[in-house]
Amino acid sequence: MTNRSIQLQLGIGACIAAVFLVLAAIPTWVSAPSNVSNIILSPLFWPYTLGTITALVGLALIAAGFREPETDEPLNEPIEDPQNAWLRLVGAAIIMVATMLLLPRLGMVWTCMLCFVAMAFLYRTRHPVAAVICAVIVPLVLYAFFAHVAGVAIPQGHFVRLP
Amino acid sequence: MSFTDSLMAGLSVVGHIEAFLALAVGVAIGVIGGAIPGMSATMAVALTLPFTFSMQPITGILLLLGVYKGGIFGGSIPAILIKTPGTPASSATILDGYPMAEKGEAGRALGMALWASCTADVISNLSLIVFAGWLASFALSFGPPEFFTLILFSLTIIAGVSGDSLLRGALSAMLGLLLATVGLDLVYGTNRFTFGDPNLMGGLNFIAVLIGLFAIPEVLAMAWHPTAHLGKARSLGNEWVTFADYRRCFKSIVRGSLIGVFMGSIPGIGAAPSAFLSYSEARRNSPNKLNFGKGEVEGVAASEAGNNGVAGATLIPLLALGVPGDVITAIIIGAFMIHGLQPGPMMFVLNVDIIYGLFIGLIVSSIFLFFIGSAAIRGFKYVADIPKRILMPAVLVLCIYGVYAVNNNIFDVGVMFVMGWVGYFMMRYHIPAAPFLIAFILGPLLEDNFRQAMLMSGSNWTILFRGPITWFFWAATALTVIAIVRLAMSNTRNRRLVGNAGDDS
Amino acid sequence: MQLKKILTASAVALGLTTVSAFAEYPERPINMVIPYGAGGATDISARTIAEPLGEAVGQPLVMSNITGAGGATGSVAVQNAQPDGYTMLFARVGSHTVNPAMKATLPYTLDDFRFVTVYEINPVACAVNPSSGIESMDDLIAKVKEGGVSYSSSGVGSLLHLAGAMVLRQFGIEDPLTQATHIPLKGGGAAATAVLNGTATFICTNSSALASFVANDQLKVLMVTTKEPVVGFDAPTANDLGKPALNQLVGWTGIAGPDGLPDDVAAKWGEWMAEATADEKFLEQMTARGSIIQLMNPEEANAFIQQQYETFRALVDELGMRIEG
Repeated sequence: MTNRSIQLQLGIGACIAAVFLVLAAIPTWVSAPSNVSNIILSPLFWPYTLGTITALVGLALIAAGFREPETDEPLNEPIEDPQNAWLRLVGAAIIMVATMLLLPRLGMVWTCMLCFVAMAFLYRTRHPVAAVICAVIVPLVLYAFFAHVAGVAIPQGHFVRLP
Repeated sequence: MSFTDSLMAGLSVVGHIEAFLALAVGVAIGVIGGAIPGMSATMAVALTLPFTFSMQPITGILLLLGVYKGGIFGGSIPAILIKTPGTPASSATILDGYPMAEKGEAGRALGMALWASCTADVISNLSLIVFAGWLASFALSFGPPEFFTLILFSLTIIAGVSGDSLLRGALSAMLGLLLATVGLDLVYGTNRFTFGDPNLMGGLNFIAVLIGLFAIPEVLAMAWHPTAHLGKARSLGNEWVTFADYRRCFKSIVRGSLIGVFMGSIPGIGAAPSAFLSYSEARRNSPNKLNFGKGEVEGVAASEAGNNGVAGATLIPLLALGVPGDVITAIIIGAFMIHGLQPGPMMFVLNVDIIYGLFIGLIVSSIFLFFIGSAAIRGFKYVADIPKRILMPAVLVLCIYGVYAVNNNIFDVGVMFVMGWVGYFMMRYHIPAAPFLIAFILGPLLEDNFRQAMLMSGSNWTILFRGPITWFFWAATALTVIAIVRLAMSNTRNRRLVGNAGDDS
Repeated sequence: MQLKKILTASAVALGLTTVSAFAEYPERPINMVIPYGAGGATDISARTIAEPLGEAVGQPLVMSNITGAGGATGSVAVQNAQPDGYTMLFARVGSHTVNPAMKATLPYTLDDFRFVTVYEINPVACAVNPSSGIESMDDLIAKVKEGGVSYSSSGVGSLLHLAGAMVLRQFGIEDPLTQATHIPLKGGGAAATAVLNGTATFICTNSSALASFVANDQLKVLMVTTKEPVVGFDAPTANDLGKPALNQLVGWTGIAGPDGLPDDVAAKWGEWMAEATADEKFLEQMTARGSIIQLMNPEEANAFIQQQYETFRALVDELGMRIEG
């Protein structure tokens, strides 16, 4: 991606988002009472203003993109294994979704241990043993601190409870 | 109450060992947190926040202020050593710090960064003590119209944190403004983008958004390229900063500190632009102009003075007006409120002991920063030895705990993850995250104060121009916008000239 | 994923054994949800009673602030919790009578909770800026009839919002919504500051929120809504002014569990509360802040809340204040 293509993509994206906001999202998901005395006090006024400005920024980005000289210089550093990199990103997403699903069921400590190990292996760490040890210790230490020093009700899950 | 009475009242609340211990621990946490790239002073403060809930108000707030000040300095350590700013504020330090490290002068650069930071800190704290009381007496004349114009002006300063593209900064800010509309409407109490979910009715949790936007993208970037960080640290070098260096740079340090104080006392600017401004002013006035950018110790001094000068001064709007000057003070305001303290003019009336306690603590914090900073510079190489692929999962787990603890709500952890992906996308598309956050904080304030002003006046627009304060901010806003537009236009022109020249060759 | 499956399976097995060994309530710490931010009236009240209450319960009480949407976020968290008595809510006037009366879209109703007690009553006081020249309620009402009067609140659906309208209505203002302007602010502190700096004309809120301003002569009190005068507030009561209907307008704090809370758990809470509210230190701390400690058993609490809800609901319907969207 060059600077120019980024500007163009973002500009188009912003315009589409703005159109979606103004035509669909705001009328559907922002409710306004029927007895609003003045339009500028309506709950709709500010979202519509923002939608309009977003469209203007999008148009400006497109214009700036066209004025930008075409270069071959990519903005992001290239990496060797783009395909695996994408897979790792998907892996990270799966870990996050799994974490969210497990948090209320398993409790925070056990979920975080699993999350830590999964993440460390996703990074293909060179110290697997150290990673597993840390994965056990870090959530436990944090639990001890948050639950017993800071007095936070850390979710315990339905199964194994910690003191 | 006389000044001495206030001072004694202040001493009575900080004059015990816990307060100073908290301050020292805070500075240490801050230096370490700031020194870990991807952790940043902001995140260190956010993660320390839940620990302060159970403390005495003054102890908790001093802990956070310690983290803040330590973090702003700590950011310079990785900036100098591995060309990665630990905090956005230390980006300017890279310009000369990293070349110095390449020349084997890392120790000298770090030492100068510390001395400049401490000097700026002292100047900044003194300005706070002298000006905050004066500002507080005048701050009660800030009603919704005044706040509206002040916040409007603060929003224009987003341009200063937009990095290389003003438009992408604006896009980032729009994203922040839009996300901030989630929740219940202020005036009518109706739902906006809540999709019937009670968790969304309270709006998105600010700290979840903040950590998601700054820390999680680092975790994801690591998944994208796990070996990007390998082989980038180098030795400290033997040379240490000398007093002669310090004397030579003293003028730049004082100038930088004053720039920091000015920029810090205006809400919404933050430390990074101040550091850059200080750096460019130092270069303009230095006899060693040509050496700047090639490893000039004065450049490091100026940048660090510029960003640390902000640290004390951001407390001026915070204490006097109840307005957060930047992201970090926005979190610190939360800490005040958690303890039932309402930062603002009334605090100088109702909580004089706390205010003076803070002043005393702040003065002491500069001394702590000096000693803890020195130790940190020597000890940092060991911290840097933690393999990053174990560090990042640990950061992720820490974030999960921290974000949950803020509001005891698992939903917020989800918000953090989603914002992490938004932040990662923004990183890939080179959209700066700072405008997003500033807009996310200021957007609701702007809307609320506008509507409150309209309610007050029965929708009469002239209330927005009701007095000298509003006139001042309208003028300042207009001038800033004109300056930004002119700068942006000349930048694009320059870039096109460079681009065309490149095509010709 | 395989690892997780095994772990889940073994955890399920473990869980079955722990659940079947159900001991006498309470066998572990109780999570007490405070639906408002730390430092607010509810939070202070909750943390003050937590100390004697924890002793009575014999297990630690873990206080969790779950803030947002005028108390709705925290209330929903308890509404959806297991009705096993291990998740309880500090219910408040805003979250459990004003909000249900005003908001059609609120994700819960009063029926979703079982109240075990109401232990604290907060008188409501109305105050103005001393420089406004308003000396009494009559002055204020005269000013409202002239127009241009506004009152501040801590947000839509807060007690302050309803109180302003209810007081004006009781004093004979036909349509308080159009004759006076409601200016919502973010939080009770901001609402009081708004009267201080002249953004709003008057405020009706818990006496404890005004006490320090009144003591410093920064605000002038016009009226308190209780039958008895409030210490430190040199102002007539609602009964003195001939408006006993305003006695309904008081703040309160209570404790509630999810709807299916077993009877024996509710009964235990009754005993614990009787013990906790008898604590000398607690009484002293609460009365110093202007609260009236008045312990109600589950039946009294339900009747009290229901009556206040119906009063508020009638007013909301009469004035058309209900929020539908």
